[in-house]
Amino acid sequence: MSPLLDMREVRGGYGDADILQGVSLNVAPGEIVAIVGPNGAGKSTAMKAIFGLLHVRGGKITIDGEDITGKKPNLIVQAGVCYVPQVDNIFREMTVHENLEMGAFLRSGDLTSAYDRVYGLFPDLQERRKTLAGNLSGGQRQMVAMGRALMLDPKVLLLDEPTAGLSPRYMEQIFQICRDVRDVGVALLLVEQHAKQALAFSDRGYVLASGANRHEGTGAELLADREVAEMFLGG
Amino acid sequence: MDFMELLNFYIVPGLVLGSIYALGAVGITLVFAILRYAHLAHGDIATLGAFIAFAAVTLLGLPVYAALPVAMVVTAFAAVGIDRLFYDYLRERPRIVTVMASLGVALMVRSVVQVIWGVDAESYIRGIARPENWWGIRLKDREIVTILSMIGLVLALQLFLMKTKWGKAMRAMSDNPNLALLSGVDNGKVVFLTWLIVGGLCAASGFFLGLNTELKSMMGWQMLLPMFAAAILGGVGRIEGAVLGGLIVGVAEEVSVIFLPSEYKAATAFAILLLMLLVRPTGLLRGKVL
Amino acid sequence: MEWIGLLNYAVFMAIFICIYGLLALGLNIQWGFSGLFNAGIAGFFAVGAYTSAILTTPEADGRIGGFDMPVPVGWAGAMLLAAAIAWPIGKICLRFRSDYLAIASIGVAEIIRLVIKSEDWLTNSARGVTNIPRPFGDLPYAQSQLAYLALVGGVLFVAYLLVERQIAAPWGRMMRAIRDNELAARAMGKDVPFRRLEAFVFGAALMGLGGALFAHLNRAITPEAIDPMVATFLVWIMLILGGSGNNRGAILGVAVVWVIWSFSEILTDQFPPEIAIKAKYIRIFLIGLMLQLVLRFRPEGILPEPQRGVSGKKDS
Repeated sequence: MSPLLDMREVRGGYGDADILQGVSLNVAPGEIVAIVGPNGAGKSTAMKAIFGLLHVRGGKITIDGEDITGKKPNLIVQAGVCYVPQVDNIFREMTVHENLEMGAFLRSGDLTSAYDRVYGLFPDLQERRKTLAGNLSGGQRQMVAMGRALMLDPKVLLLDEPTAGLSPRYMEQIFQICRDVRDVGVALLLVEQHAKQALAFSDRGYVLASGANRHEGTGAELLADREVAEMFLGG
Repeated sequence: MDFMELLNFYIVPGLVLGSIYALGAVGITLVFAILRYAHLAHGDIATLGAFIAFAAVTLLGLPVYAALPVAMVVTAFAAVGIDRLFYDYLRERPRIVTVMASLGVALMVRSVVQVIWGVDAESYIRGIARPENWWGIRLKDREIVTILSMIGLVLALQLFLMKTKWGKAMRAMSDNPNLALLSGVDNGKVVFLTWLIVGGLCAASGFFLGLNTELKSMMGWQMLLPMFAAAILGGVGRIEGAVLGGLIVGVAEEVSVIFLPSEYKAATAFAILLLMLLVRPTGLLRGKVL
Repeated sequence: MEWIGLLNYAVFMAIFICIYGLLALGLNIQWGFSGLFNAGIAGFFAVGAYTSAILTTPEADGRIGGFDMPVPVGWAGAMLLAAAIAWPIGKICLRFRSDYLAIASIGVAEIIRLVIKSEDWLTNSARGVTNIPRPFGDLPYAQSQLAYLALVGGVLFVAYLLVERQIAAPWGRMMRAIRDNELAARAMGKDVPFRRLEAFVFGAALMGLGGALFAHLNRAITPEAIDPMVATFLVWIMLILGGSGNNRGAILGVAVVWVIWSFSEILTDQFPPEIAIKAKYIRIFLIGLMLQLVLRFRPEGILPEPQRGVSGKKDS
């Protein structure tokens, strides 16, 4: 299958120094792909590079064959990539429904089917449509954040550490949500701190270190790899 | 002093003054929350609005109340122009630099008023307005108009913010600017709308101050402190908070005259400001703290 | 003779440049090195002027004092009281972003103005405090002016050296670190609000001293002596134009702005009175515009802040 999102030999950073020293990864339709690696490996940076939030100085990023390297976030959104930041990913002072509405800000026309899809995925949110998002539980907030991103009907959803700061119970819930999202036909690329759990539930994974690819393979392969195991699982 | 006396001489004038402050404080809170800086030229733009209304009355011969919408529209575009000329290009710099620029704009706007209209006190209507008696409460027509207009304008603003696409975009920008940008909200348009609204509110606040007292080139600058106190008292970013804060500051200033020499009216707002920063910087209604 | 008049005028200007130089140094400590926005410079200036005046004047009817103390005591008192007023304001506001300090400092200046205008027993209100002793005041005019210039010049020079030394010291490095990256400085365990408070109080003391020097120069101080907004704003434009973060730049900015300001006044005074009054406001408009132009086209000022080591990066 040809990749939906393809990132080749990308180099770049926020200021003058390159944090990414050549990262390549791809996501196929219907896949959940995890990026793991030690602190400072450039995991979140790689994701921000895709979303146009940093200076990309080398390499190429395409979505469905369309070159999005260095484009502004709003164009990347239109190309079919949505991004859920790790923190501050909801509008706290707005209701759940308004959060979804903001997600669809760039869309015009009838949004009923988009709302139906999100509320279908997250029945919890349907019940709390009029609640201020800031008053929800951690797991529900993550649903709002993902729901907001899904309103634009993306091909790929980028999730930056969706389980950070959540308890193990919520972590499982989030992973389940990810599977549900995949099952409605959206590919997912996520950065994860909890390497073991993330690899266990993803279809494929990439291990980054020092801003470059170190290992890649299916979740099971990586979990079985001794070097990878030493990197995270033993230590 | 009996209750009616307290009501007629302190509370009612306080509520009128408070409505004037509220109109300004709503603008301050919008700039604070959406653009994220303290706008020090706010009072002087209110002065400008008041004098534009004055020009509409004296030059165009409009009735006093018809001058209000004219002044609001003209001042709204003046505020947009000021932003384009003096604030917009500072967007990438630390926000405090814009605060500094706004102090310069305050002086510039005031000197424009002083050059065009001079420094003498003016008024929209000559002669003394007689209060009417409403079940023992004495109210002048213009005081009723002031309070009702404030309520009407704030309700219209709330409706806009709650129900329309761009109103929601403004709230989103105030709530979480990064996410709003990620959602595709055009920051430039939000800034434009904000200044349009803020300029209009400034003009209304200046107009009603001029209507209830007189027009002077320093009138707006002297409102700056009470307006900020009101915005912070209510909670930065809270429209209803700014109204509540404005009314409280207005009443507190008028009532303070019972205990303090009247010269120190202005000190009341300052005391409220410091007290809130000390004990509850988020304000009564849980606003933002920059 | 013409040139004596010119010379006298030059000396008079130089004295004012030294006094404003102290204000600009004070503001440089607050804004240039620490990023604190003080919009109440005139308030601290007035406190200094009145404090020193009340301490050093002979006994007077109808107001407190005077206490007939030596002039240096008056100056010390001016600095102390200005600092003492800055302290609680800074204590309350410096936990937040500098916007709050800007508003509160406008408030302080306003309250100080009100107190000076209305408290008869303290400041003699509108009549002001007179009979302020002037150092070298017994000399003939020209010599007296020159001696006073030497005095204020000396004070400015000492203040400059002290500030420079402090800025080069670890304290200055820390202040710049806080200004440029507050989070990192906090993470390193710096007590950020307290350090800022030090800078705010220290700067205010210098402004108080400037006020004292002004009062002794004029031998009298009245509420009308300074237009609070214009005085405050002049100091700001002096610092920004000269180069905030650079003490020499600050003093250069004072000289440039004061010369422009004074000559434009001489110019507009030639106009017929009708226009002269308007011209005063046009001048104020133009200094406001000047700030905008400097911020836009040369935000670092004439003399930019020197790059001191790696932490010299400006603007986050």
